[in-house]
Amino acid sequence: MLVGRRLFISSAAFGIVLAIAYWLVAHEISGAFLLGFMAFALTFLAGYMIVSEREADFWGDDRDAAHPDAEGNLLGTYTIRSPLPICAALAITMLVLGVVISPTLAIVSIIAILALGALFIVQSV
Amino acid sequence: MGAAAPSATFSSERGDLLSWLTTTDHKRIGILYLVTSLAYFGVAGALALTIRTQLSHPNNDLVSSHTYAQLFTLHGTAMIFLFVAPFALGLANFLIPLQIGAPDMAFPRLNATSYWMFLFGGFVIFAGAATNEGAAAAGWTSYVPLSAIAISTGLGQDLWIVGVFLVSVATILTSINFVTTVFVYRAPGMTMWRLPIFTWEMIATSLLIFMAFPTLASDLLLLFIDRRFGGHTFDPAHGGDALLWQHIFWFFGHPEVYVMILPYFGVISEIIPVFSRKPIFGYTGLVIAAFAIAGLSMGVWAHHMFTTGAVNDPFFSFVSLLIAVPTGVKFFNWIATMWGGSLTFPTPMLFAVGFLLNFLLGGITGVMIASPPIDFQAHESYFIVAHMHYVLGGGSLFAIFAALFFWWPKMFGHKLDERLGKWCFWLLLVGFNVTFFPMHFMGIEGMPRRVFTYESTGQLPLLNAIATAGSYVMLAGVLVFAWNVVVTTRRGMPAGDDPWGANSLEWTTTSPPPEFNFTVLPPIRSERPAYDARAKAAEA
Amino acid sequence: MATTQSSVMVGNWQLYLVVGSVVAASVWGLILFAVVRYRRRGDAEPVQFANNYPLEIAWTLVPLGLVCWLFVYTYSAEASVETVAGTPAVSVHVNAYRWGWSFAYDGGPTVGGAAHGPILDSAKAPPPELVLPANETARLTLTSSDVNHSFWVPAFWFKRDAIPGQVTTFDVKPDQLGTFEGRCAAFCGLNHALMTFDVKVVSPQEFARWRSAEMHT
Repeated sequence: MLVGRRLFISSAAFGIVLAIAYWLVAHEISGAFLLGFMAFALTFLAGYMIVSEREADFWGDDRDAAHPDAEGNLLGTYTIRSPLPICAALAITMLVLGVVISPTLAIVSIIAILALGALFIVQSV
Repeated sequence: MGAAAPSATFSSERGDLLSWLTTTDHKRIGILYLVTSLAYFGVAGALALTIRTQLSHPNNDLVSSHTYAQLFTLHGTAMIFLFVAPFALGLANFLIPLQIGAPDMAFPRLNATSYWMFLFGGFVIFAGAATNEGAAAAGWTSYVPLSAIAISTGLGQDLWIVGVFLVSVATILTSINFVTTVFVYRAPGMTMWRLPIFTWEMIATSLLIFMAFPTLASDLLLLFIDRRFGGHTFDPAHGGDALLWQHIFWFFGHPEVYVMILPYFGVISEIIPVFSRKPIFGYTGLVIAAFAIAGLSMGVWAHHMFTTGAVNDPFFSFVSLLIAVPTGVKFFNWIATMWGGSLTFPTPMLFAVGFLLNFLLGGITGVMIASPPIDFQAHESYFIVAHMHYVLGGGSLFAIFAALFFWWPKMFGHKLDERLGKWCFWLLLVGFNVTFFPMHFMGIEGMPRRVFTYESTGQLPLLNAIATAGSYVMLAGVLVFAWNVVVTTRRGMPAGDDPWGANSLEWTTTSPPPEFNFTVLPPIRSERPAYDARAKAAEA
Repeated sequence: MATTQSSVMVGNWQLYLVVGSVVAASVWGLILFAVVRYRRRGDAEPVQFANNYPLEIAWTLVPLGLVCWLFVYTYSAEASVETVAGTPAVSVHVNAYRWGWSFAYDGGPTVGGAAHGPILDSAKAPPPELVLPANETARLTLTSSDVNHSFWVPAFWFKRDAIPGQVTTFDVKPDQLGTFEGRCAAFCGLNHALMTFDVKVVSPQEFARWRSAEMHT
């Protein structure tokens, strides 16, 4: 996954350069902190790509591969339909609404979210 | 080619409401995004027409000042958070797995969750209109101290904050899905350097979303804590800093505008080669330019703050000027694609050329306001309104229509009507320019933004009247599009796999595609697998 | 164009307008030419060229050079506009509030007041007025007592934001007599559109007379 690694490494390098340049030119703390934190986040992503994608071997990266090469491989279980997404979204929406208009609603939503989370874990196992 | 019957993805067999509510199919989710964002576009457009009607002459009393403030707040919020960006996310949702040869997104249930959070987030934002003190009325940028609890006392502002927060989280989750899917689920032979430009632009967009949207979410959280939990982050009277909101907001806000244009650069990069019958020119340059724009866009935020006197203007001015370079590279690539080609102009290509003509003007005014001495006059005036609408309206909106006309057959199995499409294009092109070109002059003449009325001096009454007239022509164009959809839904002719003779992988499968997208994949040896497959079939 | 600073800024506008017009005309020209010249004629597939590295490098480096050149002019223009040096002839503390302006002259009167009523019509309710002497440097120190506002005089081609908790300073040297309209250019609530003011530039003698008259009121 060489391209992805290169992408994140160059982004991280750019972020570091930008953060340092900004501090040297402007000496302004809010912007320096924002850029610095961004550089840190990009470095983390780049580090992850370097370390954990070392063994990655995607058939998409093989220039000469063709469809039959991927046949019979299990990508994973694809869900066709699931009620979890809309229920989870509803519960999260009720949570943020509850935080604004009604603490009771917020508490009920948190319980609902936890229940849905448990359901998700049970379904995936 | 595969002999499987076209899937019942959108046919009446599985068209019941429950299957749409529980779908995790990226194609259906993509269509849900498109329909929802177009609905929000309709609402935001109606708000805009009300704004333009109020401003049609000075001292108009169509709406009160308070109503007007809600109108422009909701117009900006809806257009940005609920239309232009989500439309791109929906289009990417539909296209990315098809363009890379994958059966679905990496995380289908997360994908669906993001969509529903986006839909409900919009409801929460607009719900403010039903509260006692009305919807949020501090602008889509919600500057403090105006948006602080002391001044914006109503629940509408809080609902705006949490609604936008919801939409932000949804956006972040979607972009995680995009990047993972592209990195991991590419079909055999689909190396990164064979990806369609649209997919590359979506990777760059996703990177921007990773950096920008969490920043917005934290700004919103801080504001909410200030408002409802006794915080003082932005409160100068208690040691806080009002300017800090602007720094954090624009650290998000400027990448956000590139989130709203990079996908559409991708759309244009898909459409122009097809109707020029040539490959996209300068593929590598386009990819590098996309990431150059994304990277540089993280370093320009305070060009929105030149007039505060509190930021290092030269740094931001220089980096803002630099962004013009990769953008120009893209323009030259698109022109070079057309150069020496064999051009035809069905509606998608008309909108693509319209994009080029309009966005160029927006880009040039953008370079102008990257200069602080120019911005000192232009900032917060109608010159800025003109600039932003040229890039977002003349640019993104035209690309949105180009995308709709181009991919409609792939999504629904039939094309939109060509004659109505041309009417739509010309009405929008004329209406758009008549509305927004005069605004450059309104700004220079001294008309500020976000005003519910203006003095009857100079050319302002005439320019405003012209702009209002133009907005009604735009309305006509949008109505023609809606009519087009209605008419072709009932009697559109089946389009086949590849009605345009296009290049990327989605055109090698049926229209609409079957449930897991492909029954057979052609060999992928370049960035134009459909073109290569046609060439091979012609040889045989 | 009513201050010495504004002529620098107008010069900057003109530079960018010229460069922008040339770029716009050329690129629009190329697009429209391509659209007409390369219309489909017949079925033959055009030559499938997709690269020209020297050209691509050129159209990266030339715009890069152009924006760097623009930046040099921009930097020096801004530096000259924002120079705050020497002793000004008059210092005014400007405070923006919802919804009006107060102008507190150093050692002099404090004038100003609320903005118009609901109709923008100078005859009905004259806006608050900042009086300045011509051809002399006025130092304005700007802040706000509630939300963000912005002190904008279109004829001066300049605005500066008034931010609570922050004091910002700039010089203007008016070089034309007359009354110039001012606007608030940062959305500040209900009467944002009505928060106008005037800057009246008079001769230094007239200014001195006005000032002593005001102080004795």
